[in-house]
This record gives sequence, C-alpha cells and structure tokens, in this order.
Amino acid sequence: MFDRTTWWQSILYYTLLILVAIAILFPVYYMFNISLKLPKDIYRTPSLLPVNATLKNYEDLVTEYDFLINLRNSLFVASSATFVSVVFSSMAAYSLVRLKYLYRDWIGRLILFTYLTPSGLLFIPLSVIVARLQLGNTLHGLIFVYLTFAAPLSTWMLMGYFKSIPIDLEEQAMVDGATRIQAFYMILLPLAAPGLVAVSVFTFTAAWNELLYALIFITSPDLQTVPVAISRLITGDVFRWGLIMAGAFLAALPVMILYYLAQRFVVQGLAAGAVKG
Amino acid sequence: MKRFTTTKLFFGVTLLLLGMLALTPALAQEKFVYWGGLIFSEAANNLFVERVEQWGEENNIDVEVVMINQNETVQTVSAAIEAGTMPDALDLGRDFMLLLSQQDQLVALNDLYAEIGEAHGGWLESAESLVTSEEFEDNIYGIPYATNGNVLYRRNDLLEPAGYAEAPETWEELGEMARAVNDPPNVYSMSFALSNVGDGNLTTTMLQSWGGRIADDDGVNCTIDSEETRAFLEWITTAYADGLFPPGATTWDGAGDNTAYQSGQAVFIANPGSVRNYLVENDPELAEATLFSALPAGPAMRISPVNTVVRSIPVTSEKQDLAADLIAYLADDEFIAEYYSSAIYGPALVSHQEAPIFAESAVHAGLLDLALNGTPGAFPDKTNAAFAEYQTNFLTPRMIQRIVIDSISIDDAIAETQEACQAIYDKYQ
Amino acid sequence: MVRNESYKTPRFSLRQLDSLLGYVLVAPLVCCILLLVIYPFFFAIYISFTDRVIGSEGEFVGFANYLAIVQKPDFQASISNTIVLVGAVQSIKLFIGLGLAVLLNQNIRARFFWRGLILLPWAMPAFVAFITWKLLFAPQGGAFNYILINLDLVTTHVDFLSRDLAMPSVITASVWRGFPFWVISFLAAMQNIPRELYESAALDGANAWQRFLHITMPGIRHVVLVVILISTIWTTNSFEAVWLMTGGGPSNATMTFPVLAYYGLQSLRIGEAAAVSVSMLPVFAVLALIVAVNLQRED
Repeated sequence: MFDRTTWWQSILYYTLLILVAIAILFPVYYMFNISLKLPKDIYRTPSLLPVNATLKNYEDLVTEYDFLINLRNSLFVASSATFVSVVFSSMAAYSLVRLKYLYRDWIGRLILFTYLTPSGLLFIPLSVIVARLQLGNTLHGLIFVYLTFAAPLSTWMLMGYFKSIPIDLEEQAMVDGATRIQAFYMILLPLAAPGLVAVSVFTFTAAWNELLYALIFITSPDLQTVPVAISRLITGDVFRWGLIMAGAFLAALPVMILYYLAQRFVVQGLAAGAVKG
Repeated sequence: MKRFTTTKLFFGVTLLLLGMLALTPALAQEKFVYWGGLIFSEAANNLFVERVEQWGEENNIDVEVVMINQNETVQTVSAAIEAGTMPDALDLGRDFMLLLSQQDQLVALNDLYAEIGEAHGGWLESAESLVTSEEFEDNIYGIPYATNGNVLYRRNDLLEPAGYAEAPETWEELGEMARAVNDPPNVYSMSFALSNVGDGNLTTTMLQSWGGRIADDDGVNCTIDSEETRAFLEWITTAYADGLFPPGATTWDGAGDNTAYQSGQAVFIANPGSVRNYLVENDPELAEATLFSALPAGPAMRISPVNTVVRSIPVTSEKQDLAADLIAYLADDEFIAEYYSSAIYGPALVSHQEAPIFAESAVHAGLLDLALNGTPGAFPDKTNAAFAEYQTNFLTPRMIQRIVIDSISIDDAIAETQEACQAIYDKYQ
Repeated sequence: MVRNESYKTPRFSLRQLDSLLGYVLVAPLVCCILLLVIYPFFFAIYISFTDRVIGSEGEFVGFANYLAIVQKPDFQASISNTIVLVGAVQSIKLFIGLGLAVLLNQNIRARFFWRGLILLPWAMPAFVAFITWKLLFAPQGGAFNYILINLDLVTTHVDFLSRDLAMPSVITASVWRGFPFWVISFLAAMQNIPRELYESAALDGANAWQRFLHITMPGIRHVVLVVILISTIWTTNSFEAVWLMTGGGPSNATMTFPVLAYYGLQSLRIGEAAAVSVSMLPVFAVLALIVAVNLQRED
C-alpha cells in the first residue's frame, strides 16, 4: 500500500474508479435527462441524450405546482429538526459519557434500542399521539417526529466522538473555575465540531427525504414537504415522469452538495461514532 | 464576558425553538374541512376546489379543501380515523365507503340522497344499485357524484390498414385482430395488465364474460372450478404464449398499460380515461389515431363493470348539516357539466347526462354508455365483501400468472385458486 | 468568570450535583423517546393481540392473528425473500465496500472528488432513487432495454421485474443506494490505522494481501461488525425498494416483511398488520443485542 504506485497500478485504480463512477452517475444522469424532456418525448422516443431538451418541467414545477413552497417547508422542517436533535443529542451524549449516575447504562441502551425499532410498527400509534398533542397537520409535528427518530443515532455517534476527546482539557477548565456546563459547551463542543457537523448532515438528510410520515401527518397543500409534493405527481395511474424527475433532481441537489462539502466531517464523525462507540 | 454571551445565545436559541414547538397553533378546528379526490386533471381539481370555496364564501364559512391523492386515500383515512382527525366530508371510492360504513365511520344519508335525486331527475340505475346493495342494510352512506369504468382504446392507425376498421365485438375477435398487427418488440397488441393491481382484475371481467363465476348466486361458495373458467384460461394463456402480451404485463403497476400505450407500443388497452387526458394534452397525434369502444363481449355475455365514486360524511364531523348542504351544492348541473368536461367520468344522476361533453367526446360517450348499460359491481356475481376481498387479493390475475410464469397446469391453477377463494368466502359466513 | 455556587455552599455534594445534571441533560431526549417510540411500541404489541380494525377498539384474541398470518403463503414467501434480499444485499455491499475503501486508501489523486462522488447515491432520497431505478428497468421507455435493444444484444424486451429477475433487480438497486455508507465507514476506519504499522510491515517484506489481512482487517474489524449490524437493521426495515419497484410481486417473488405489514394496513386490519411487524421483532432483538454489546464494550 505504501509501495510506490507503479504505472499499471495507476491504470488499474483509475479504470476501476471510472467504472464505479459510471455506475453511480448513470441513474442520476438518466434522471436529469428525463427531467429535460416533454412527456411525449419520454414515451415515444426513449434516448440517452435529451431530445428537444427543455426546462419546461422545472418551470411548471415552480409556477404551477408551487414547488418553492414545498422546498421552503422541507427546509424549515429539516433544519429545525436538525438543530433541536443536535442540541438534545449532544446534551444526552455528554451526560452519558462524562457524568456518572444510577441507571446510566440502561438509559444508553434504551436510546440504542429505540434506533432499532421497526418503523412500520409505529405507524398507527404514532399518528394517534401526534393528533392528541394537537400536532396533526402541522410542520411542528413532523419536526418532533423526525428529531425523535434521528436523535438516537446522533447520540450514539456523538458519544463515540466525545469519548475520543481527552477529558483533561475539561478538567483543567473546571479547576480554573469553569462550571461543568461551561466546560461542556466551551471546551468539548468546539472540539467535537466535526462530529456535530456529521450528525447534522445525517439528520438533515433523513428529515429532508422522509416520505411516509409526511404523507400521513400533513394534509394541507401549503404545508406539504418536497417528497410529498413529488409523490402527488403520481396521480392514480399516471406518472408525470418529466415533472417527477425534475422535482427529484431539485430535491436531491441540495443534499448532494451538502454531502460533497461536508464529506470530511461525515467521514470523521462516522469513524469516531463507529470506532470508538 | 464574551463567553457569557455565547451561553446566552446558545440557550436563547434553544428556548426559542422549544417555545415554537410548544406554542404550535392549536388545530384550526373551526374550519370546515373537505377532502376531495385528486385526479389526473389539474383543471378538474381546480374547478372542484373553486366550487367548494365559492360555497364557503356564499355561506360565510371558513373552508379548507384538501385534495387527497387516490393512491394514498386508504393510509390517510386510516390514520385520520385512529387519530380522530377526519374531515367534515370527503370523496371516496364505493368499495372503501363500504369498508368504512361497516366500521360505523360514516353517517347515513338517506334523506339527502332522496333529496338530491329528486332535484336532478332521479339517480341512474347503475349508481343507485351500487350504493343501495344489500350490505348497506337500507342505509345510504355515500352520495354518488360520478360513475367510472374501463373503456377499450384501440390504435386505429395500425388496425385499419390491416383491415379492421370496426371495434372488436368479442374478446376472441380482439385476439384475432391483435394477432394480425402484433410486432414485437415494437408493438405488443394486448396491453392488459396480468399483475397484482386493480387493472389486473380486468381478467375477472373477462372470466365472467366467458360464463365463469367466482361464487354461486348466494355469494357463499366459490365456483371457480368450471368448464367456462377452463375455456377462458385456455384462450388467455394461448394469447400470452403467442407473445401478444408485452413482457412485464405480469408485473406491471397501475401505470403499466398507460406507459405501453403512451409509448406507442400497444394496440389495445382498457383504461378509465386518464390515458385519453394525457394524449390530448401531450400527444395529439396518438390521440388522433385512437378510437374508443365498450369492452368486448365473451362467449357468454358482455360484462363491463361500472363503479361509482361518492361523497360521504364521517360520523365525527360536527358540521354534518353544512356538509350535507355542500354535497347538494356540488351536485349542481352546471358545475358538474363543467367538471365532467375535464375529468373523465360518466354521470350518476339523470340530469347530469345532459352535460355537453357526452355528445362531444368519444371517450365520454363511452363512459355515458357505461353508466347506462354497464354491469354494476361484481355482476353476475354477488357484490359482497368476500368478492371485494377476492379482487383485492388479485386471485384471477394470480391464477394466470401461475400458469404463464410458474408453468403449472391449468387444472392445478384452478384448483389452487378455488381453494384460496373458498378460504376468503368462508371468512364472511 | 462566574463561580459555581456549589463550591461555596455545598448543599449537594459535587457528585450528587453531577448526577442531577446528568439526568437533566438526558431528560429531553428520553422524554421524546418514551412518548414517540416506547409507548407506541408497546401499544403496537398490544394491538397485535387484538382483532382491531381501523375505527374499532377490537377485542383481545390471543395469538389468533399470529396463527392466521403464518398460514398465509405471502407470509411464508416473505420470510425466505427477506433473508435472501438482506443476505445478498449485505454480502455484495461488504465486498464492494471493502474493495472500494482499499482502493480509495491508495495514493489516489483527487480523493476528495472520488469520495464525494461515492457518497452521491446515499445523498439521494430513497424514494427518488428507487423510482428512478424502476424507470431504468422498465420494459417500455426504460434505459436498460433501450441500450440492450439498440446494441442488438436482445431481440425482445427484457422484463427486469419478472419473477426470475425481480429479486436481482431489487438487490441491484438496493446495493446502489446503500453501498456508500459502507465504503465511507470502512475508509474512515482505515485512515485511523497508524501508517507506521504498514511501513514496518512493508520493511518486513509483507505483500499487499498480507498487509490487508494482518493490519487492515484487524484495524477495521470492529467498524465492519458495527456497519454490518446497523445496515442489516436498515435493510431489513426498509420498504421503499420493494414497494416502489415491484410491490412485492410478481406472485410474491419479492414480498418482504415490511411490505407485507404495509399491505395489512391497507386492508384496515391493523391487528393483523401489527402481528406481521411484531413477528419480526425477535430477529431485531438479537441484532440489537449484538450491536449493544459491541457498541457499549468499553475500549
């Protein structure tokens, strides 16, 4: 591995990488290709290059289907859920890693266990609870559900991350007169920034992409999130492929960019969460 | 000092967000909520929403109209019933209305039904028989607003040059025409779904038109095992073996036949009308080449099932009188005439037949014909819950799949299906 | 600088204060979980023992739902299908994951770019990914059939979602969407292995394969295990791939547990639907136990 890479090794490596890239990009490209075509061309002249390429689908999405409202709703839901989830899970992770108290390990197990529950099981009971809390058909209800689903994994990853940070720094600060809480958010949290970014990215993506619960909890058109809006483009037995793919592309783009930019932290966060956890 | 500000900021933002969560505005329960059925016609959906809003304005009522995608009605309504968040009125398919009424979720609307019928020259027999069948026990839980069913589409531009200018009268004739123009992999003539979706149940219709029956007249014992069923299976499996069905017909979702036809790769499809809407909007050329007719007859009789869509009021509604008023308002002749011209529906009320679109468009004429002459529900079988479950389990298309995919014999497939069917019917004894 | 009150007037000992703080910090999350997961969880288990139908309370019927579902062919099919699907998807992802992680751990130019590219399928919303794959596989208008026919590789459309091909097709799409998590996790773990280990091994004359076997594998063993377990739970739970691409068909060829449970919901018999979901629980319990033991193991 640390031999000098010979030329034929290089050729092998890059050939493999290019093959992988094609396998990854082809579906994404095809989706983009379809999004540039009108219905008639999609069905009548299937092709790998867009025939009569047009931005009409994108234009219709924005003007006729109020897609920007859906994007706004998704953005609000995903970022709120992410923020609250990161706050809750970093508090919980700190508590579980740095503080000692009765039943701590059991609480840790409870949180992990949550993560492993089959979500199909919770469908009906959850809709009852959300309605009882007067959160049915509100974005807040969605935020609440998403943060609860995302926080256990975040907590576990952050626990791993916090464990990897030496306790000495915090102890030093406390000797210097800082309270525990100050030591937590002034010393530990900044050091754990990559981990925080990683769990934020995960939570944001999960909330941004979620379809099933959004479909059931949200009925008002002006509260629908992006996945719900896209699913409504399949009406009865008609798939409006051009619009669906345009919507899908717009939905996937922000997350893909987010991942691309934050990949270093994602990798670090995963490493700490899984390795040290 | 600086550290202190960060503390304040951190906890400030946290509190703010938590506060936002806590102070979620209570559900605006004062609003009158209507769940309409979202269909494949933006124009029709918009007309409907406008009409309900207009009613709200006239009566000074704050209304919210939510269009529920028909693909998600069951999940959405299930969750809403459990959560107690049902609307004040909603649109439903007839079979789902039956299920809900059996769970005591819907208000009986006998008076409203009679009143609307009177105001519009009476109900068409097909619609009436569907909402007054025996299982409803003399109660009417849904006010029909339209009828629907399948119309046969055919590619005249391919069939006429081959010498077939007329619509097929029988399924066998259709098979003959299909053979003449079949041209795989470009064109697979018989693009009928044989998969586990609603469209696949067209095969139950075919089976019945061969004289086969799912159950006896009392709707108690399954009678799939018959010579008629055998004859039908012979015919359809031979057609499959001859390559008349497209690859994928056994796995299609509800959009399979649409896709095939829209791709120009099908000659015959059976579709309620969404394909025609698509063609008119997006592919006028293909629309021009398409002709419509009623479903063909089998050796025994012509079966072309007609169904109905209804408006219902949940028992949980606190504004049942208003809801009834709105439902009557929505039956207005002028509004319906306009609505039908973009939606693809046949009429349910006598006066609604007069909508000009039924004279103007071939597919609408077909739907009117269906409303007047179609066979309601499970006919000739008894329309009951067991039959509905037989259909939602897609036992006829599954039987065909067993033969053409799993290569079991026709007799074995019949025996298997007979047994599965009886198990369903036994549950309802 | 603010002094902690408790230093001056210790009404509580520092230890007590710490444990109080511990509870306070963990409380918000635990409350959410109790309300939105634990309570519904036990509620669902209770429902599975009743004949509850949407809209009615239902009565306790003991194991009747379970007895009813095990007799259904769909249920039997879903057991073997779930095992095949999860088994195949996980082994392929393990193979690809390890291979690509090793590859990316070489002296690769623009590693940032390649790594970002590999993350792409994972960043795509699941339902978007799977309807795209459905379109790729479609006999009419699908990209694969278009390519195959235009290259004259086949004479008639291939039905990728037919009985024999549906499972491989669903597996392909699931692998495509799921493999990035494996590559990235493995890569992250590999980059944590000290370089000196490799250098000294190279000096001792160990070849690439030996170094992989004796340094890389032990170094990432723990991560591999955790990833396998977590991803197995995800894959077993996920219903989008099958639901969107085949709906469990044709003739149950791809019917899996979550899809079957969802069908139950559609028939309004939530008692039965819950029973299907609950019967998956023992498997999850075992997986959860292994994960818990591994994750909580103090290093």
